[in-house]
Parts: sequence; structure tokens; C-alpha cells
Amino acid sequence: MSDPRLPSPSAVQAAARFSSRRLTPEEFQAYVLAPVSEDEREEALRLIRWFTRRYPTPAERLAYARRAHSRWKGRE
Amino acid sequence: MRGSEFDEISFFSAIEASGARALLIGRRALVVLGLPVLTADYDFWLHSDDIEKLNEAVRPFDLEANRDPSAARRTGRYVLENDEHIDVLVSDARTTVDSLLVRFADVWSRRVSVEIGAAKLFIPAIDDLILTKRFAARPKDAEDIRLLERLKEARDE
Repeated sequence: MSDPRLPSPSAVQAAARFSSRRLTPEEFQAYVLAPVSEDEREEALRLIRWFTRRYPTPAERLAYARRAHSRWKGRE
Repeated sequence: MRGSEFDEISFFSAIEASGARALLIGRRALVVLGLPVLTADYDFWLHSDDIEKLNEAVRPFDLEANRDPSAARRTGRYVLENDEHIDVLVSDARTTVDSLLVRFADVWSRRVSVEIGAAKLFIPAIDDLILTKRFAARPKDAEDIRLLERLKEARDE
């Protein structure tokens, strides 16, 4: 039985299609240059600080990425 | 070879030992730099003369190329695959979504060397990595650029 807290496989596929479509130059520039709120900025910086402190070396970060992907695949 | 058993450090060591001019790009390079993004694949930008070197280096990992080197040169890309999936870009230059020509030779000349255990791999300088994110120009690439800009900020702190 699937976990009701998680999105359905079709919803995940639709989100992946949406985030992988090619944008026009204008659309792409609009995405990149959209204003960054202070909350968004702080959240990104907090995440970077946590990740680089928890996994100080590139090898540890890559190992984390492989574990994270395995966990994500296991939920599909 | 199953994905979970893939020896990443040996894989990077083999590429280093081959002398292939290969730059790790894509989200795996973001992870190396310190961004915890989710990724399934490896992406490399390879000098077009070095396809045979790379293919030979990864043969012990049972990675098979989906096209021969001449076809890869013609199309500008190929895939190495078993349970792992490695996208390889092989063009001498690519154009960004806003028509800026980015030459492999220039990006290679500014590359950054990274120690991965006993192995060494090369990634583009952050500003060049941002340029490579403008090739495919997908929403997730734009998001990655925004994260890379935050990473630059964090490094300036």
C-alpha cells in the first residue's frame, strides 16, 4: 500500500516533466532573475552551511548524494 | 555491476589515470561544491578527442557507450550506462539559451581540481558551471543557478 503522505507516481512524473522542459531565453532569464526573498536566501544559506559542516569533504558529499538518491528511489 | 555497489572513488581514479580531459558538470558537481541537491546521473563535458580514453577507462565498471565515438562526435553527446547513467557531452563548444558561445578549452583552462578520497576530478569554476546550466535552460537549471549564486555568497561570508 502506498504512503498517503507521498505524491503519486504520476504526480512525480508530471512535476519532473514540468521542471525538465526547455524554456525560452526570456522565460529562463525571468526564472534566474526572480527576486530572492530574505527567507529564501536565509534558507538556502542555512542548508549550505549545514551540508558543508555535516559533510566537509567532496567524497562525503558524493556519498550522501548516492544514499539520498537510493532512499528517494525506494519511495517510488 | 549494481548501482549500490558502484565504487565511485575507483571510477573517478580510473578517469583521472586515463588522462581524459573530463569535467564533471551537472548536479553532481553542485553536490561536490556543497549543495545538497538530488541527482541520479553523472554528467561530464569531455574533450572530443578523448572519447576513446574515457570509454576504455570505464570499461572495468561495465559501462557501455550507447553509440560509437564517431557518432558521439557527430551528435555531440552520448551515454555510458549499466545501472549507472553517465551523460557525456563531447562538443568543443556549446551555446547558451541566450546565444553565448562557451568553449570547452576556455572552461577547461579555468577548471578546479577536487580531491575525492584518493582520486582527483575536475569541475568547472563556479561561474563556468553557471554557464553550463544555461545550455539546456530548464526550470531546474534556473533553480540550480540560484543555488550556485547563494553558494558564492556563503563562500564570501
